[in-house]
Amino acid sequence: MDRPHTHLSDPSPPFQIHLPPVSPGTALPNLNLKHSVDSRALTYDGTVDENLVCPICRCPFVNPVLTGCDHVFCRSCILGSLSHRSLCPIDRLPLSDDTITKAPKMVFNQLDSLSVECPCCKARISRSTVENHLEKYCLDAFVRCPGYIEGCPQMVKRVDSERECLHFLVDCPDCSEEVEQIEMKDHRENHCTERLMQCERCDLEIMRCEEKQHEESCPEFIRICKWAEYGCQYKAVSRKHILHLESCQFKLIGPLAASLKGEISQLEDKVLDLKVQNELQSRRIKFLETGSRTSSDRPMDLTDLSLANLSVSGPTDPSDSGNDYLLSLLEAQQTRINQLTAELSDFQGKNTMMLFNETLPIKNELAELRSTQQVTCMHVRWLLRLRLQENQRRFGVGPGPGSSSGPDGGGFGNDLPLSRRLSDSTRDVTTKL
Amino acid sequence: MSFANKRLGKELAKIHGSLPPGITLVTADGFQEWLLDIQVLDANPIYMNKTFRLKFKFSTSYPIEPPEVTFTQQPDRPIPMHPHIYSNGIICLDLLGQQGWSPVQNVESICMSLQSMLTGNTKNERPEGDAAFVASNRRRPRDIDFYYHDNTV
Repeated sequence: MDRPHTHLSDPSPPFQIHLPPVSPGTALPNLNLKHSVDSRALTYDGTVDENLVCPICRCPFVNPVLTGCDHVFCRSCILGSLSHRSLCPIDRLPLSDDTITKAPKMVFNQLDSLSVECPCCKARISRSTVENHLEKYCLDAFVRCPGYIEGCPQMVKRVDSERECLHFLVDCPDCSEEVEQIEMKDHRENHCTERLMQCERCDLEIMRCEEKQHEESCPEFIRICKWAEYGCQYKAVSRKHILHLESCQFKLIGPLAASLKGEISQLEDKVLDLKVQNELQSRRIKFLETGSRTSSDRPMDLTDLSLANLSVSGPTDPSDSGNDYLLSLLEAQQTRINQLTAELSDFQGKNTMMLFNETLPIKNELAELRSTQQVTCMHVRWLLRLRLQENQRRFGVGPGPGSSSGPDGGGFGNDLPLSRRLSDSTRDVTTKL
Repeated sequence: MSFANKRLGKELAKIHGSLPPGITLVTADGFQEWLLDIQVLDANPIYMNKTFRLKFKFSTSYPIEPPEVTFTQQPDRPIPMHPHIYSNGIICLDLLGQQGWSPVQNVESICMSLQSMLTGNTKNERPEGDAAFVASNRRRPRDIDFYYHDNTV
């Protein structure tokens, strides 16, 4: 495989264009057309790695699949082969459609990055981008004619789609045949019967549409001396100019004058630039002057002492007040900010103190209340126990569920935890109370 | 541009680039019929200094289906003597039948298989019943069910 994958004797383009029906009246005309590209017909750049070539179609894989026996083919190729024989084409092992899976992503990535030639503009692009390139970017790809809103069904190359619809007939200026405007250039260059003419001066056969360009190179065209600008009066046909250039009196002065001219024009440009800059500066100064004056006259209701100091700089010499004014303004602002920061922290401190002062008595009171509440609690508990004991003494050990309390209630062999017994009895007593 | 033509285009490009020794392309006009010459390179006395012409006929379902490959006779291109090659040029090789064919084969690999088939042969004879087969056969080679009776040759 030392030859690039070229496509032999294939006149048809390797893509198809999908032309959707024209829908008149669309606001923004989208001229792009979808191209479906046959990857097998593309021209690949250089030699494609043999491992990426399908053994059946001998093209880099298109939609590759992996067989159960670890071979990779294009999906369409292996399905075509399996419809004839249910064997793997390489190792002849039994193979069926359902053991075929999509090839690993890596294979797809490698294929996507293969460099191919754009079928239209011949640019080198990666294979995965061909369709998008043709649809949106390729200058030589076909798009709808800009006149399709008016119903023009033709297609034009993207490079010609910038202008309006060029599908109208005009007369060729050379042969007065009717030709579509879009094909005029091609017609005048290749097909027009009158496209060739003889140069009046040098008898050379030239293209009629390139008459102007020919003047540059025609040896019989009468031209003035290169240094005519600086005073040379010489005027002759082109071919004599070479000789004249040797003997021209302006041969030495000419280049000098040209360089001087260049320098002068440069300087002129610079002067112009400086003028503009100067104007700008003076306008700025004027603005600052007026600004400083108004600031000094401003009432000082919001500003305090620090800005009052500033007003000293206000009425000073107005010529150099601009920057000074700005600086002093900045300083004034700085001191104000400092002051505000100090005030702020002061205020914060005050606030904290106040809060603290107010909450302290409340805390004290709370503690007091808590202790009294505890004392009351103790009293109540003491009283309850007293009542309980009294009750027990009065009724003896009763069969009631609550009266099983007491360390001497062991007649029932009750082994409940002490706390439980206590709480039970308490509840029971409470009901009795 | 059919699938077969694309594939053949690729093969032709490769053949124009390089071919193994003893194989030369004679004509490849279009994608229906190609002619190639093969020679046996080692000193097999049966085929010494002889060149044989192969005719490939491709169907539109190539390479899914095998091409039709036969030897053709010309004044300077005889039909090689081989127990699997009939005197009318029809070759009895499983590779070229519907069963033995695989789409990964190509013109070059067929030529090389035939080269090696001739190289390994020691019998200077035609297949059994050659005269009768040649006289009666009207079928195309690919439709003939050869009985691959001898795998040693």
